[in-house]
Amino acid sequence: MCDHGQSKRGVFSAAVAVNEQICEDHFLLRLHICDPVRKFPPSSAGQFVQLRCKSADSREAGHLVEATATTPPQFSLDELTNHQPLLRRPLSLGGRREIDPGTTELEIIYRVVGTGTRWLAGLKSGAELSVLGPLGNAFAIRTDKPKAALIGGGVGIPPMLYAAETLSENNIEPIAFCGAQTSQLLPLTVDGAPDTGGAPSLCTREFTERGAKTVITTDDGSLGFRGFVTQAFQQWCDDSGVAAGQLVVYSCGPEVMMRIVGDICIDRGIECYLSLERHMGCGMGTCQSCVVKIRDNSEQGWSYKLCCSDGPAFPAELIVWE
Amino acid sequence: METTNKRQSGDIESIDLSVNIAGVELDNPLMTASGTCGYSDEYADFVDLGELGAFVTKSISVAPRSGNEYPRIVETRAGMMNAIGLANVGLDVFISEKLPKLQAMNLPVFVNIAGVTQADYIQVAEALEDIDIVRGVELNISCPNVKAGGIQFGVDPSAVEKITAAVKKVTRKNKLIVKLSPNVSDITATAQAAVNGGADALSLINTLTAMAIDIDTQRPILANKTGGLSGPAIRPVAVYMVHRVYTQVAKPAGIPIIGMGGIQYASDAIEFLLAGATGLALGTSLFVDPRCIVEIKNGIRKYLADRDKSSVQDIIGALQID
Ligand SMILES: Cc1cc2nc3c(=O)[nH]c(=O)nc-3n(C[C@H](O)[C@H](O)[C@H](O)COP(=O)(O)OP(=O)(O)OC[C@H]3O[C@@H](n4cnc5c(N)ncnc54)[C@H](O)[C@@H]3O)c2cc1C
Ligand SMILES: Cc1cc2nc3c(=O)[nH]c(=O)nc-3n(C[C@H](O)[C@H](O)[C@H](O)COP(=O)(O)O)c2cc1C
Ligand code: FES
Repeated sequence: MCDHGQSKRGVFSAAVAVNEQICEDHFLLRLHICDPVRKFPPSSAGQFVQLRCKSADSREAGHLVEATATTPPQFSLDELTNHQPLLRRPLSLGGRREIDPGTTELEIIYRVVGTGTRWLAGLKSGAELSVLGPLGNAFAIRTDKPKAALIGGGVGIPPMLYAAETLSENNIEPIAFCGAQTSQLLPLTVDGAPDTGGAPSLCTREFTERGAKTVITTDDGSLGFRGFVTQAFQQWCDDSGVAAGQLVVYSCGPEVMMRIVGDICIDRGIECYLSLERHMGCGMGTCQSCVVKIRDNSEQGWSYKLCCSDGPAFPAELIVWE
Repeated sequence: METTNKRQSGDIESIDLSVNIAGVELDNPLMTASGTCGYSDEYADFVDLGELGAFVTKSISVAPRSGNEYPRIVETRAGMMNAIGLANVGLDVFISEKLPKLQAMNLPVFVNIAGVTQADYIQVAEALEDIDIVRGVELNISCPNVKAGGIQFGVDPSAVEKITAAVKKVTRKNKLIVKLSPNVSDITATAQAAVNGGADALSLINTLTAMAIDIDTQRPILANKTGGLSGPAIRPVAVYMVHRVYTQVAKPAGIPIIGMGGIQYASDAIEFLLAGATGLALGTSLFVDPRCIVEIKNGIRKYLADRDKSSVQDIIGALQID
């Protein structure tokens, strides 16, 4: 069926345009979706997609489904020897643009941690990939607050790039705080020397292009501010004198980091959204596997919400940490 | 494969996929497996749910259940384990909020019900008698993930007969489907017990109790310690159990089987039909790509056309065995 106007979420076939290593273990993946019948629907910062980390056979690549073979699929030696996961893998959208009429480019940055991401890393440009999405909710954009701090750790940085772009478009000034264990693990292109004292500067190409100054922190001091990204953020809150009511914080990264970000913001009365990660079975709100404890007025004081369809970002003060 | 008698595509469309499950006419054998498709239209953006023959809901209990702690799923090669813990909104919210959406879908609906006591099952079954769109209830007496509930009813033939008979008393309009556990030494014994208790149809299999261990922490990965294995990994077990129950219980008693367990491709679905299943439920595969519904339907049609069969009923239980 052909959708006119607003295209629905769905399963799309994408071609790999770029899949290049950007630093140790991290890859930049650009996917082109060009479907003659349906456009990839509008997407927003904060949303993610589910990638099938498996060779596309014609039945699964995301083509419109046509009449089907009834013989079992024939697997290549590569498929049999390199384990390919059954379930899809959730990855945040780092950006999205229309590159020519009818083609949408999605940008993803991923770190190789296991079977699925290792399989992704082996993809050559031109390869076909099945994309399910877009999933989850957009970050709440507060046009009444002039400044936004984006705090990203590791592979939590990509959604912050998409957020920076959206905030700039809405005339909100984004400032990015990006942390990594060491300079080799920072998935950004560094221009010039990031301030070791933690002052924001136009030091990364990706955030500069999206209108954001950046603070880089590394745990070992190999680049920028030595220490945790949370320390740099706290120091900036003190030094910059920005009133709590003028600022909103978005963060994505390791849970230990986001917890501290949440605590800092709650202490100071800063509005704060944390984008959580959960193991996901479906990403579409059906399997109930991705639960997050969210405070409410019930007797036990919380109830389970789904990271995939109610989140992935939640207001910091509502999250019950385990 | 030999396809000398290949029909034209117009012919393929005219192949009759309709089946009858205990008096309920279905347009085709495909249904959703409980717990893998939400309550109603969660997949509507991804696939036209009108392609289904029937919709089977998530397990509904009298009171809402928040379910087990996180993590609730873990993937394994060719499958996944889940320990959701029958998280559901409860009977009242199901009726007030979820049913209207189901109504709009215009499909026969089977509501899967779960309980801790016999009275729980009866209360849900009774409440569903007044609702037109609901055509049957599926008794989940086989969920392996709930401590105080389910499984005890499901493993002991006399308990199966007793609960089936008790619910049968309150189902007048609705058909009674009993969903069998594979976690028994002889599934034909529990199947026979369900038939003796008055079951109108049998569905099988539920998940196989399984465990995954984190070798770093030397602890179980799932918060519930054990989970139910589903997906392609269990298909051969499920096909065998359908075959046994069909030949020894269902065929002699003249009642239909809804087969499930790892159906992913049309070829898998056809195995179940040949083994004796009249209905086919899709579970884990929906998480990967909800469009498998359409694909499997088309594949069954093609299989029938290639063999000059005009109806799916021609292959149900057609397994050749000496
Ligand atoms: C909403 C969301 C957005 C995400 N965005 C990104 C992103 O932009 N870039 C990126 O690199 N990663 C992202 N992730 C994490 C990513 O999904 C996992 O790293 C990936 O699924 C691992 O798959 P694998 O097969 O390579 O690893 P596996 O072999 O499955 O596992 C390897 C290791 O990764 C852990 N892991 C697996 N899945 C997850 C998960 N869903 N969440 C946390 N840990 C997991 C496992 O516990 C294990 O230790 C995101 C996760 C979510 C839920
Ligand atoms: C995440 C998940 C949740 C499930 N929840 C239920 C449930 O609530 N009630 C039930 O009777 N079966 C439940 N099942 C079992 C399925 O309905 C089905 O019997 C089983 O998964 C085998 O089919 P599959 O291999 O196609 O998934 C669940 C399965 C999964 C994977
Ligand atoms: S991943 Fe299935 S409900 Fe969230």
